[in-house]
Amino acid sequence: MNKLTGLFLGVFLLFGLSWLTFAAYPYITFAGLQRSKDEATGALAPPGNPGTADQGARVYAANGCFYCHSQFVRDKNAGSDIDRKWGKRRTVARDYMFDRQVFLGTSRLGADLTNVGDRQTDPQWFYRLLYNPPAVTPESVMPAYRWLFETRLIQGQPSADAVKLEGKDAPPPGYEVVPTAEGKALVDYLLSLKKNYPLPEAPEATE
Amino acid sequence: MMNQAAISEREIQPGPATERDGPSVVERSIRVPVLIFFASGVFWLIVASAFWLLASSQMHKPTAWWAFPGVAWLSFGRSYPVFLNCFVYGWATCAGIGAGIWLLARFCHVPLRSSLFPILAGVIWNIGLAVGVLSILAGATAGFQLLELPSYAAFILFLGLLMVGLWAITIFWNRKPGPTYISQWYILSAFLWFSWIYATANILLTFAGAPGPAQPAINWWYIGNLLDLWLTPIALGIAYYLIPKLVERPVYSYRLALFGFWSLALFGGWTGMTQLLGGPLPAWMITASIVAKVLMLLPVLAVAANYHLTIKGSFEELRWNPVVRFIVIGSMAYTAYAVEGSLISFRSIGQITQFTLITVGHNQLGLFGFYSMILFGAYYYIVPRLLGRQWLSQAMVMAHFWFCVVGIGLLFFDLTIGGSIQGFALQDPQIPMAAVSDLIQPFLMVQNVAVLLLVVANLIFAAAFAFIFLISAPVKYRAAAFESSAEATNKVASEVSVA
Repeated sequence: MNKLTGLFLGVFLLFGLSWLTFAAYPYITFAGLQRSKDEATGALAPPGNPGTADQGARVYAANGCFYCHSQFVRDKNAGSDIDRKWGKRRTVARDYMFDRQVFLGTSRLGADLTNVGDRQTDPQWFYRLLYNPPAVTPESVMPAYRWLFETRLIQGQPSADAVKLEGKDAPPPGYEVVPTAEGKALVDYLLSLKKNYPLPEAPEATE
Repeated sequence: MMNQAAISEREIQPGPATERDGPSVVERSIRVPVLIFFASGVFWLIVASAFWLLASSQMHKPTAWWAFPGVAWLSFGRSYPVFLNCFVYGWATCAGIGAGIWLLARFCHVPLRSSLFPILAGVIWNIGLAVGVLSILAGATAGFQLLELPSYAAFILFLGLLMVGLWAITIFWNRKPGPTYISQWYILSAFLWFSWIYATANILLTFAGAPGPAQPAINWWYIGNLLDLWLTPIALGIAYYLIPKLVERPVYSYRLALFGFWSLALFGGWTGMTQLLGGPLPAWMITASIVAKVLMLLPVLAVAANYHLTIKGSFEELRWNPVVRFIVIGSMAYTAYAVEGSLISFRSIGQITQFTLITVGHNQLGLFGFYSMILFGAYYYIVPRLLGRQWLSQAMVMAHFWFCVVGIGLLFFDLTIGGSIQGFALQDPQIPMAAVSDLIQPFLMVQNVAVLLLVVANLIFAAAFAFIFLISAPVKYRAAAFESSAEATNKVASEVSVA
């Protein structure tokens, strides 16, 4: 009996340390993060996410975007992220305090998306990319996400968010391609990805 | 305390009569539950293979018709997690549980009174995984890497895991008095660690809604432990049993074995954050993981040295034994995997490799080259002993072996070279992302070929497993695992003398 007790006690104590450090500690400390307040303007950072972001994040997860796209910017001495203009500063824990789910990602088959909503502000750009990636970047290895769109008969006025498609992607005359509710939520989420506010613990990189 | 002899295979051999008749009483009592877990493992390996081939084809050519463009549930974002989950929770975990309970029951010499409990656990595990995989295909993923199974499926899996764990402890508790073995330590601890991390990660991430910045830490803590404290100790426990058994010598060093075990227990839980170099976590967390990853070389080298010194001198005569081959290649891959793991965790190297195909190749070296190879060896050893039958064809086993070795070798070198090119290209801001994609195209094509080889290997393995049930005729028990009858006679004699 002693052997089993000793084994379990040893294993329990050793592993308990790791559990406290990497599971319990972040769970407790990061729950207590506070926003930073700019003394001059009174602006709060991070400002918080629009209400639709969570819904779009579900679509982002469901379609596995995070298997190819990361969402964090490393410091200037830790990689080329800032030189690639994926962000002006590194991201820190506080940047993610309002995200219901965080997708840091570990692969960059595609570009980093931390600030994609800052680089691209036109929803049409995202719709065209999701509908047919090579139409936006010819060498892209990104798959098309056609199920986030529907082709339908134009009734009365064309929809405001009908996707502007050219060439062989264009719908037949009288029809239009519009994003589904999921497609819209995803693009709203992508547009909301911008960590372009200042945080004292992560000053902008200088040359 | 354990003594030197305890590590050796000094178990009480079943009497000569049972030897001739077939599996021992203990083995007969665990036959059904072990085979249920083994068969589930093979089933999920085949499901995983299909999705692996699909996902790697999609990485290579997303617009080709065989990539099913436009079909949501077969898109890369779902085929890839389905492959990984089927591979890890289907194949690797079921095979590991099967081999683990076989080892525990053998060591403890306790025939099972009722196998209903473990059989039920196997059924529950399969139901949970099937529900989870269908959910991922439908888009209902939990969205955390290697924790994609939604909470309801994870809950079912946890019930199954809990049953297996309790059962393992019960076996150990009721064991016949006698020495304990290092394999038992690895396997019992593995069950404890796995239940602990699986419960923690799922509860904190999905039920208790961990705050955003804490999620990556918890997620990668889990993934690091899943590899280092679940799959690794299971495979090491198996190899620590099979290597001395096959060379008919005790483990070389008892102290080295103990050192290896406790240093794994000490450092294994700290390695996960190396995937998040430069990430939004306190720097000390990442540094702690880097240090742990380097210190992990201690248990790895201790185990490698112990295996090597145990097998040394006997390898030539055993090189045609398929079990030995799989175990030796698996153990070598383990050392390579650990050395590479500590290299790419250094900040200077990691910042180039961390987002590239190198990571994928590294994980495959661990999951397939190390873990799966050892588990294949375990199947080839255990299944004939449970059934009292012989594998249908040795040629088939050799074909399986070579497809595995060539496939994983090609996959690893391809992803490592391609990943290095990708890493240096990513590091140069002048090279646009589209050009980086262009650079790795040929490597994605070779990856596809390598995956195809491994899928063929898995199919051969599945066929061999099916044939032993369907076709193979019962043979003398001791001749079951490929030994000529002369060798078998010697073996019985030497085992009796050890006992």
